[in-house]
Amino acid sequence: MDSATPETLTSQGNGSAVYFDGVSSRRRSVTLRCSDRLEVSEDGQALAAWDYSDIRRADGPAGVLRLACLTAPALARLEIRDEALAADLVSRCANMDDNTPGRRGVVAIVGWSLAAAVSIVAVVLFGLPLIADRLTPLVPEAFERRLGDVADAQVKTMFDAKVCENEAGQKAFVKLITAIREAAGLDTSVQSGVLSSSVPNAFALPGGKVYLFNGLLAKAENPDEIAGVLAHELGHLKHRDSMRGLIHNGGTSFLIGLLFGDITGSSALIFGSRTLVTSSHSREAETNADRFAIDVMHRLGRPAKPTGELLLRVTGKEGKGLSIISTHPLSEDRLAQMSRQDRSASGPPLLTSEEWKALKSICSDKI
Amino acid sequence: MNQMSWPPQVPPQPLPSVPPPMPVAFSGKRRDFFDLVKRGAGLEFVTLGFYRFWLLTDIRRHLWANTLVGGDAAEYTGRGKELLIGFLVALAILMPVYVGYFLIGLEAEHIQAFASIPLVAFFYVFGQFAIYRARRYRLTRTVWRGVRFWMTGSGWIYALQASLWGLLMILTLGLVLPWRNAALERYKMRHSHYGDLQGSFEGRGWDFFKQGWWLWLLTPIALYVTPIAPFIYGAYKAIEWRWWLSGIRFGGVRVESKLRKGDLIGLYWKVIGWIVVLGLVFSVYLGLAAVLVASMTESSFTEFFKSQEFMKSIPLLVLAGVGYLVFALAMNVVIRVYLLRDLWVRVLGSVNVSGLEAAANVAARGDLANALGEGFADGLDVGGF
Repeated sequence: MDSATPETLTSQGNGSAVYFDGVSSRRRSVTLRCSDRLEVSEDGQALAAWDYSDIRRADGPAGVLRLACLTAPALARLEIRDEALAADLVSRCANMDDNTPGRRGVVAIVGWSLAAAVSIVAVVLFGLPLIADRLTPLVPEAFERRLGDVADAQVKTMFDAKVCENEAGQKAFVKLITAIREAAGLDTSVQSGVLSSSVPNAFALPGGKVYLFNGLLAKAENPDEIAGVLAHELGHLKHRDSMRGLIHNGGTSFLIGLLFGDITGSSALIFGSRTLVTSSHSREAETNADRFAIDVMHRLGRPAKPTGELLLRVTGKEGKGLSIISTHPLSEDRLAQMSRQDRSASGPPLLTSEEWKALKSICSDKI
Repeated sequence: MNQMSWPPQVPPQPLPSVPPPMPVAFSGKRRDFFDLVKRGAGLEFVTLGFYRFWLLTDIRRHLWANTLVGGDAAEYTGRGKELLIGFLVALAILMPVYVGYFLIGLEAEHIQAFASIPLVAFFYVFGQFAIYRARRYRLTRTVWRGVRFWMTGSGWIYALQASLWGLLMILTLGLVLPWRNAALERYKMRHSHYGDLQGSFEGRGWDFFKQGWWLWLLTPIALYVTPIAPFIYGAYKAIEWRWWLSGIRFGGVRVESKLRKGDLIGLYWKVIGWIVVLGLVFSVYLGLAAVLVASMTESSFTEFFKSQEFMKSIPLLVLAGVGYLVFALAMNVVIRVYLLRDLWVRVLGSVNVSGLEAAANVAARGDLANALGEGFADGLDVGGF
């Protein structure tokens, strides 16, 4: 070996090592002596003595045994390159690897991670719907209306849609929505309108806003079809579904995001699993809104089946199979539900044929 | 793959009286690192990502412990548990911040649709703070010759500076990048210490600009001709590394790098190659899974695919999800091996350190910093080693 003066020999090797005292960065070539403690000396002068039971392994480069000691300064290090000496020391220090987590540490990490994952999933599946249900009634109406205004502005920008209000059409629309609103038991705070967009859709925003897109009107063949859709959206308002959905959605995204952390590209995964969870919740809300719509239509003495037919016309046949990722129930099932409980019309039509014509052309410029 | 193992592993010679520039060496085996990240990816899979704190720690421990400067290896003394705690504390702080962000955004949107988007700027500032504090954590866990590095300075002042420079970057379309980096590095290095040696940064923005201005001109072309993008990025990274390393000083210790422009380009192409290969494997797997699921349903093959039914089949979704997870983890292994380990080795191979005698007898100083910054960095997804 390259050590200059091998004075004190240990049982094996010449006892040469490198010592850093953890107080300065001075590199000391030292000799080791294994008595009842590990004695470190430089040129015959004792520098330190470490108890074998306090010695711990520190990270070192390949081929070097690097040691630390619990009772020495935290960063004091001893570096042994001599293999025989290293092996000798390893056999003397029983607690050397107490700091390295080892297999048991990894098992603990895996176990607790799985426990955390299970509890997060449980909260997402069972806790959040409950929380959303309980929390929704506590959210002040004013706050919800504020949210609605925000969503309103965004929707109008996104679809580049204007509110259609040619006079005759607006009059017919108000008549229709008022009849439904009263049958639904909602007060006058409900705002509604027709938006000029070719997307065949209708939606409810938090805080009592219901919008019908012109595209859906174009596909409708009679007032009952549209009335059912509006009743469905009012059902969402009545149940405050968008508020509940917001709480549920926000909570789910947050918790699932916690889970997957930084696995690169996991955002797709987060999105995917969130969709699965929240859409099952949303399907339930949709079914409830459908039930509500059927109820309202019957109270008005009008059939619910036309709405189901309109839905099917818009979406087309959706086929069988479990649609666990769709937010709405299958149109076929919705039609079936609506026809099953169908009664023939007992009340007067909701709109006269002139009014219906006016409503259909609500988005055309004033004639 | 070539097994990098320069210089030959011999015990360091006793220092001569006037030491020449000391090359920096890396003693780790590529195989060991590969095993480390492979096992880590497996555990990340099993723990749904929670293992990341320990994996990151193990990666750093491997890289630090095998990096020899002046014959002595560095050591990383951070632990996974610290990162976990940092993450949890950051979470506790970030949650109310997110809620506040949501409420303020709501008010802003109330006035004007999409007015809340500029609030993202707030998170940029926060991210810069996280970067500074995370660096501080890493530096205080870095030990060499029994003495730790440490760092002072304020994360918020740094974040403010970085954000103002960020604004200038937008205004000048990135042209001020060299001066931005120089200014920020000066701040970071001025507040970095090794024992009682104070750090400083001597790199000048102008030098960086002189070496890299042509890359700035080529970048718009790369947006249209994507195959040249890895060349540009690789050259940019090499120039940046060389400029950055050559500016680092600790007292009288000077670092110098001779990294050439083309030295890193190969690594990026290897990663791209692997991504293509893994992507192909993943698509074949998806195809096989679809065929398997289709053969188990009653409906005929063509009908199954035509009716869009396969988009909704649960077994197929589960198979696709698991496959995707494995694909993402395999990509992580590739990226870690090439862009962490190999890049590290290649960059280290270009480095010379002179004036090491100034670090021969440095008094230990400085305290440990907590891992809060690392937690923020994890929570906000801002980069870091």
